[in-house]
Amino acid sequence: MKILWRHFTRRRDRELDDELQAHLRMAIADRIDRGETPEEAAAAARREFGNVGLVREVARDMWGWGWLERLVRDVQYAFRSLRHNRVYACAAIATLALGIGATTAIFTLVNSFLLRPLPVRDPARLVGVREEGRAGPSVMASWVPAIVWEQIRDRPQLFESACASSPVGRLNTADRGEADWAESFSASGNFFDNLGVSAILGRTFSTADDKRGGGPDGPVAVISHAYWQRRFGGAADVIGRSLSINRVAYTIVGVTAPNFFGPTVGRSFDVAVPLLGSSRATVSILARLRPGQTAASATAALRAAQPQIREAALAAMRAEGAPARVVAEMSKTFLRGPLSATPAAVGVSDQQDSFERPLVAMLMLALLVLLIACANVANLVLGRAAARRHEMSVRRALGASRLRLARQVLVESLLLSSVGAALGFLFARSFSRILVRQASTEVNPLFLDLSLDWRVLAFTAAATVGTALLFGLVPALRAARVQPADALKEGGRGHACERRWGLNQLLVVGQVGFSVVLVVAAGLFVRTFARLATMDVGFDRERTVIVSLNTQDARVPAASRPAFYERIRQAVAAVPGADGAVTLLSVPASQDHWIANVRVGGQTPPAFDPKLGPFLNAVGPGYFSTFGAPILAGRGFDQRDGRGSPLVAVVNETFARVFIRGRNPVGESLTFAADGEERAAGAVAPSDSPPFQVVGLAKDSGSATNYALRDGIPPTVYFCIAQMDPAITNFTPPPAFRIGVRVTSASTLREVAAAVTRVEPQLRMIARPMSGYIDRNLVSERLAAVLSTLFGSLALVLAGVGIFGVTAYAVARRRPEIGIRIALGASPATVLRTVLQGIVIVVAVGIAIGGVVSWWLSRLVAALLFGLEPRDPATFAGAAIVLTAVALAAGWLPARRATRIDPVSVLRSK
Amino acid sequence: MAKKDRYQNRVELLQGTLDLLILQTLQWGPRHGYGITQAIKTRSADALQVDTGSLYPALHRLERAGVIAAEWSTSANNQQVRVYRLTPAGKRQLLAERSRWEQLSAAIAGVLAPDAIEEG
Repeated sequence: MKILWRHFTRRRDRELDDELQAHLRMAIADRIDRGETPEEAAAAARREFGNVGLVREVARDMWGWGWLERLVRDVQYAFRSLRHNRVYACAAIATLALGIGATTAIFTLVNSFLLRPLPVRDPARLVGVREEGRAGPSVMASWVPAIVWEQIRDRPQLFESACASSPVGRLNTADRGEADWAESFSASGNFFDNLGVSAILGRTFSTADDKRGGGPDGPVAVISHAYWQRRFGGAADVIGRSLSINRVAYTIVGVTAPNFFGPTVGRSFDVAVPLLGSSRATVSILARLRPGQTAASATAALRAAQPQIREAALAAMRAEGAPARVVAEMSKTFLRGPLSATPAAVGVSDQQDSFERPLVAMLMLALLVLLIACANVANLVLGRAAARRHEMSVRRALGASRLRLARQVLVESLLLSSVGAALGFLFARSFSRILVRQASTEVNPLFLDLSLDWRVLAFTAAATVGTALLFGLVPALRAARVQPADALKEGGRGHACERRWGLNQLLVVGQVGFSVVLVVAAGLFVRTFARLATMDVGFDRERTVIVSLNTQDARVPAASRPAFYERIRQAVAAVPGADGAVTLLSVPASQDHWIANVRVGGQTPPAFDPKLGPFLNAVGPGYFSTFGAPILAGRGFDQRDGRGSPLVAVVNETFARVFIRGRNPVGESLTFAADGEERAAGAVAPSDSPPFQVVGLAKDSGSATNYALRDGIPPTVYFCIAQMDPAITNFTPPPAFRIGVRVTSASTLREVAAAVTRVEPQLRMIARPMSGYIDRNLVSERLAAVLSTLFGSLALVLAGVGIFGVTAYAVARRRPEIGIRIALGASPATVLRTVLQGIVIVVAVGIAIGGVVSWWLSRLVAALLFGLEPRDPATFAGAAIVLTAVALAAGWLPARRATRIDPVSVLRSK
Repeated sequence: MAKKDRYQNRVELLQGTLDLLILQTLQWGPRHGYGITQAIKTRSADALQVDTGSLYPALHRLERAGVIAAEWSTSANNQQVRVYRLTPAGKRQLLAERSRWEQLSAAIAGVLAPDAIEEG
């Protein structure tokens, strides 16, 4: 490109040269004809001709490309001058890269989540049908009952077409043994056609497939491109293959295009199945407007039809056999809120709603960080400009216009900004991926399409130009104001008034204060997370593994389940390397939730509060030693307890404290009242249970159920699993149970899985260490720690660069004074002190202000902390120390350069 | 150091009249740059001598505007010269400029007319 350009301009220049030479020759020839001598003719002709070079230049200018050539020259000059000042250039570029990178990363998330339309046909005409909640139109449920969907489907006059989908979550696609989970959603027959998503292999759903039991092809499934690659290796014959979903054979009929990730932003899918809904399922409806129809008119039509829809839905419910009492109860609140058709180009997603505010808040924060970065770079550029004033005034004296000088500074700023933005863009790609990974959990995975989008590129370009203008404008204006006579003045001493508290200093104070707040926040959150992550729960989180088993397919009758559990447990215990195998129903320290209303002795229980429990668990002997809850009084369960022996229970300390109030719990009798809520798979208590006798008191530890680590240990009652017999206890052992075991390595775990499969191949099995369950409770703490650390480090780096810039500027300005001091015999230490004095005061003020602000703000986050006071002095002191260290490190480099100033050169230049 | 002073002709021409002179000269036939200066000099009886500092910038400006077109050709003395000629757009512009010039000179003549001078 450049070569072509040069070629083109050179040819034009040569032609112009030839033309002018020809003119000169003809003029000389004419003069000779008129009788002058050749020498006289040549001299006279040339004189008359004028300044050839000047003529050439002006003629070239006429072609109008002069501005481009000047721009290119400006860029080359800027590039060269940056190369000669590497430290300054690197500091500025690094600052901009961090600022623009962080902002772009968060904008990428905002874009993928909230701005980017679904990869479907004509997303602008999609609307979602939602019901306004009682809290007002701002709270809209994303889901409507499936029975309402059926009514809307049967009214084609409302929209051009409508479809429904429902996230099913994870389905088990393994036909035996350990479960193989696939993310899935269910969709109505016309879902893919309505959205305009086609299959790259096979076909998508049709309305014929949307029937209970399947359509003409039987139960069918459509898989995603990613799943096709992952599970089937991209095999071309995948169409027609059978896929076992929850042990039912589905036929794969199609594979969707790679860019389609499902109807909800924030989730991806592996398998799509038809929406064979029960009327209790809820779906999200996406409808396509007719050409010319607006969302408002669709809403009006919906609301006009709403009473009929409601009546028809209630009638359909009655027809399906729902008891009249239930229907009457429901009709009070069913579909009371007005329906609305809201634009849904970005889809309808509950994750969108919950992430929207935090994301926008983070974007504001990132923009603030970017502003600070710009202020920093402005400082740096100003410092450089102060050093170049001499050069600028010489150029002015030589005839450069003010505009020219200003343009030069702006071009340099733009160059810095572009390089910084390019680096920042690369950094943003990985940073956004890291953020998504951090926010994603096993239970609630977050998936975002982070591929390049024009919006992100436009944002980066705008940030580049915006930042260049922000930090380049003031230096450019200052450069333009330089007087040519300054070059002649002595020493370029600069302005006489050196304000102590100028704009620069205030900027540094602001940055340091801001950094203190963020560092304190980071300290608090990181320490909270560390405490929770390393808290002693009584057992080794990694080594203790829970193997979850479901006997549904093995069809074990309820009465023989306890014996069956015992067989499996013995098989596990027999594996070398696995010890402490114990059967249990609920996983401790997880969100498993089995509570009941308890009566101690003959007393009336306190009013039942689902939050207070007590929580129940049915365990086998050895549970208390495996899960770190030593028996403090009485005994644990052992071989004595089984069918026929007296019903026993063990309680933990919290239970004893809350429900038994100080007396020794051993010997007390417990009964479970029927009016409590029971929520455990298969366990039902139709009436009061027979009394259980408490035989032991266990220590409070992580072995309690429904224990979220942050809150106190909940009161827990443990039963013996061998005694769970519907004939005796009124509690039915559920088909799903678990075995807790301590393993020494991953291979031991595999052997355990193999041993279980040998006993009963039809068991569905998952093995997961306790840390997996506990981590689920800590997701938001971890996220807070990660984010605050990232932002805190960012702010620290920026503050460091800012202090560096200000100190360098001060040194440049005070160069003559320092040179004289050195000449008069000041030691390096004295010079250091002189230079750093100013900055230390500024930083100290910044730390003080930041400390006060965080002191005041910290009570807002008190609820999020654990094991720490919000005004934890160690954290505050740590933050102050970190800031001081960073400030000293940042100011040290220019200060050291100040000690190296050569007094002779300073004196000479005066 | 004003830029505008650079191209002062020996006789001050009102702005835009140089373009008019060039276009009119080319009306009489295609010429190269030197030929244009000679023609203007001759026609004005040596009163107007356009120097190259004004001529070539003006020629290139007019060429860029599409009013005149240029090409290389060989002259009588076997020299390579760049010859300019008027384009149809140039002819239109020439007519427009001529009428403007005539209006302007009539206006000035009106102001300078003898009976407008009041004799004290």
